[in-house]
Amino acid sequence: MDWDALWLTLRLGVVTVAILIPLAMIVGRWLALTHIRGKGLLEATLALPLVLPPTVVGFYLLVAFGSGSWFGQTYQKLFGHALVFTFEGLVVASVIVNIPFAVQPVQRAFESIPPDLRDAAATCGMSWWRMIRKIELPLAWPGILTGLVLTFAHTLGEFGVVLMVGGSIPGETKTVAIAIYDRVQAFDDVGAGRMALLLLAISLVTIALSYIFTQRLGRRYA
Amino acid sequence: MLRRVFLSAVVLALTALPVRAQQDVPVIVAASDLQFAVAEIAENFTKQTRRDLKLTFGSSGNFARQIQQGAPFQMYLSADEQFVFNLAGKGLTLDRGTLYAIGRIVIMVPHGSPLKADGTLADLKAGLADGRVTKFSIANPEHAPYGARAVEALRHAGLWDALKSRLVLGENVSQAAQFATSGGAQGGIIAYSLVLSPAVSKLGNYALIDDRWHEPLRQQMVLLKNAGETARLFYAYMQSPPARAIMRKYGFVLPGESS
Amino acid sequence: MREPDAQPFGLSVALRQDAPIPLDVDLSVAPGELMALVGPSGSGKTTTLRAIAGLYRPLHGRIACNGSVWFDSTAGSFVPARQRRIGLVFQSYALFPHLTAIENVMEALGDLPADQRRDHARTLLERMHLHDMDDRKPAQMSGGQQQRVSVARALARRPDVLLLDEPFSAVDRVTRRRLRRELAEIRRDLPMPVILVTHDLDDVTRLADRVCVMDRGAILQRGTLDDVMRQPANAKVAELLDLLPDEA
Repeated sequence: MDWDALWLTLRLGVVTVAILIPLAMIVGRWLALTHIRGKGLLEATLALPLVLPPTVVGFYLLVAFGSGSWFGQTYQKLFGHALVFTFEGLVVASVIVNIPFAVQPVQRAFESIPPDLRDAAATCGMSWWRMIRKIELPLAWPGILTGLVLTFAHTLGEFGVVLMVGGSIPGETKTVAIAIYDRVQAFDDVGAGRMALLLLAISLVTIALSYIFTQRLGRRYA
Repeated sequence: MLRRVFLSAVVLALTALPVRAQQDVPVIVAASDLQFAVAEIAENFTKQTRRDLKLTFGSSGNFARQIQQGAPFQMYLSADEQFVFNLAGKGLTLDRGTLYAIGRIVIMVPHGSPLKADGTLADLKAGLADGRVTKFSIANPEHAPYGARAVEALRHAGLWDALKSRLVLGENVSQAAQFATSGGAQGGIIAYSLVLSPAVSKLGNYALIDDRWHEPLRQQMVLLKNAGETARLFYAYMQSPPARAIMRKYGFVLPGESS
Repeated sequence: MREPDAQPFGLSVALRQDAPIPLDVDLSVAPGELMALVGPSGSGKTTTLRAIAGLYRPLHGRIACNGSVWFDSTAGSFVPARQRRIGLVFQSYALFPHLTAIENVMEALGDLPADQRRDHARTLLERMHLHDMDDRKPAQMSGGQQQRVSVARALARRPDVLLLDEPFSAVDRVTRRRLRRELAEIRRDLPMPVILVTHDLDDVTRLADRVCVMDRGAILQRGTLDDVMRQPANAKVAELLDLLPDEA
């Protein structure tokens, strides 16, 4: 069992969620409420990672972050090491490929709040923050949780992008999904099987938890 | 509830971020024909020096590309000297490196394959003619040296055109071996060093292919610009008698020795 | 533009715009007076109500209540909804579905010290004849009960103006009569301007002191119901009043 890879994968999932979910709450709520022109185009752009092959995303990230690019060189100057093939690079890639998994459920959740409730909150004299905290977040919570779980689970399983921008550096960019691939190539079916089983179990538990949460909350707010 | 979950997520994230390894544990990348040999050498090295290494195996061409893109590797063991010379020419390595082994290729057929392990490739030729061969595995010749040598040997035997459309390409020679032995293909041309490992040898039969049928697999290793003390020690260790003995065990021809 | 009088008491409203929703409204409501806004859907009744509440900002106009100006397009001033003292009863009730009845009312009592909110909210619910309903969620209450919570929440703001947007449209006839009676009681106790948007001529007959007939954003006629019924200003008014359903 490659504990390094497991720990790294869990860390990647948590960091991705911690960065992406707050962003998704801001962007998703804004998209749910706005009527600007070009909204459809914007939504389509954010949904792109859903349909793009991970290798396409990986390729563009390599081009954008690699040491040949302006961004890659600036990053190298600032931090003393390249962004690709590091944990930070993996986080950036993971955040980007997970955008639709986080934003869409959150946006749907905010969209499903009747606009009358926001008006009612305003006529009740509630401040904007209080309305967010007391009305919108509790009502949107199941959607936010769904986004969180999908993002986390998807991060655990992401392979193509991770392989391309991360390489397979133990303790740095070698996630469980990559470790399984490596184990298979090393003719270590037992090791691969153990890790595959673990990943399966974690994914199952995560999804089950989200269903339980959502159902319980659904009952609470019924 | 919401607040607690969010807070613990943030705390975890903050504790998780600043984890760049401070101690000197170099990332060393090696051609995947070294999967078993170098893993064993590294184990002995760590036992003797109490210094850890992070080993990653893959295709030599991919590693060369990643090094050009700024990957933080400290040492590179290529299956082909040309990749090392290219990197050296771009100023990415300490020097032009050292020849550490010469590789051999074999034809491997899994148990139960209709194909015979015939080093002259005569049975492969017959199998192509009578339809016994539908899938045959080699490493991707575009970036895996063992794949490129396999293509040369197939061309030499005059089988390339007939076999081309039935090839399964592994990402590297280790995956090619995986494909060749997993039952989906009737066989493959892979690295001798791999079939000498117990994990692979039990999966089928093999025969060496004449090394005059292809350019030699001159395997060159090199230290990269950022190499630290541990990487330098391992570089030297690779050339020491105990390491050479292990390399020999895995069928490599060592510089200064003859097969 | 004709400025409405800046009366020290009561509500005065003047709204004018051509687009996106045409509006040409002038009205004033005295404290204790109930003004009914009637007209077909799309006539601008609800938009007028939302403008008074501060939920919609028209292009031109002025809204003042009890001497303070809530909106003045020439001065560029606009007091947001949360700072106006408005009681608004929504057609959909717009109760917060995850909060109990008493929590819904307490949310409108944010200006009271925290330890007084619960008692105050309970008093308001009891005044709306809602006993032992404090801890129910909206989904666990009947339409009439939800309606009363919604009125209690509107009153909890201690509003300068009470706005009712088709409040009886979703309840049955019996409940409607009872709610009307309760509304009449509230008016007796709380002398503030009330605006009632309705489709129902019976609501107007029983509750309204005056009526405004609106069509396409403009007021066609205003006056007591008797006056308007007896002497419609034009054929359109007569036609609109004819179309209103009469419960009786």
